[in-house]
Amino acid sequence: MERRKFLSLTAGIFAMALVPNTMKAEDFRKLKPNAWTATKVDAAIQALYGRTDMIEKGVFIKAAKIAASGARVKLKFGSKVPAKSVALLQDVNPESTVAVFSVTKYDLMDYQLNIKMAKSGTVTVVAEGLDGNLYVARHKMKVAAGGCEG
Amino acid sequence: MAKFKVSKVKAKAKNGVCTVQMLFSHPMITYNQAKKKTGNPDDANFITYITGKVNSELVFEISTSQFLSKNPIIKTKFKSSDFKSGDKLEVVAVDRKGRVAKKSKKIKGL
Repeated sequence: MERRKFLSLTAGIFAMALVPNTMKAEDFRKLKPNAWTATKVDAAIQALYGRTDMIEKGVFIKAAKIAASGARVKLKFGSKVPAKSVALLQDVNPESTVAVFSVTKYDLMDYQLNIKMAKSGTVTVVAEGLDGNLYVARHKMKVAAGGCEG
Repeated sequence: MAKFKVSKVKAKAKNGVCTVQMLFSHPMITYNQAKKKTGNPDDANFITYITGKVNSELVFEISTSQFLSKNPIIKTKFKSSDFKSGDKLEVVAVDRKGRVAKKSKKIKGL
């Protein structure tokens, strides 16, 4: 009886330990609904990762200093440190979070996309490293004409 | 209803790295734009979730918001050394109203 109990218990622990390692889909909208309504960058990072202490290293943003139109601001960004997820945020639109990329085992963390920006401001990219630290890069840019229509 | 589809998918592999370029057709209406137009911010509609799969293996996954540009273009890269010639990349996008758009494309250069 004792032995049987012990076996089932260890099996249970093993099953629990295996779950976080398997790659599964993570929809950050369902997982972290508060992050998408936060109006400040720090509050959004807090909602996403539960902390705001960050290291300025390993993350890069490539973008023009002045964007011609706020309707289509081209951004290249990514992370050189191994990460679980990469989040893109800015401080001029009504809400802060723009997109969250969850990193799969195939992902090389090199992204490019077009975003809307209401006016000149700062773009922030945060990577949640596999070691548990948050890595950050910021890019200040000017927008000649706002594109968020209010 | 404005149309919503995955207009174009380009996937090209070189030296074990596959570069993907996707073009979506979607108006991406923000809450403020919806409020201005119809008076109801709940009419906002935008792509919220995009995934890419090769042989039912997840290669990229993006949760997005209303601040992507109208008809957004997204580029990303993934390791393709594990995949073989003829494999297809399937892109699935879901918007806020629950509509789904799909497109699958053979990866070139594998």
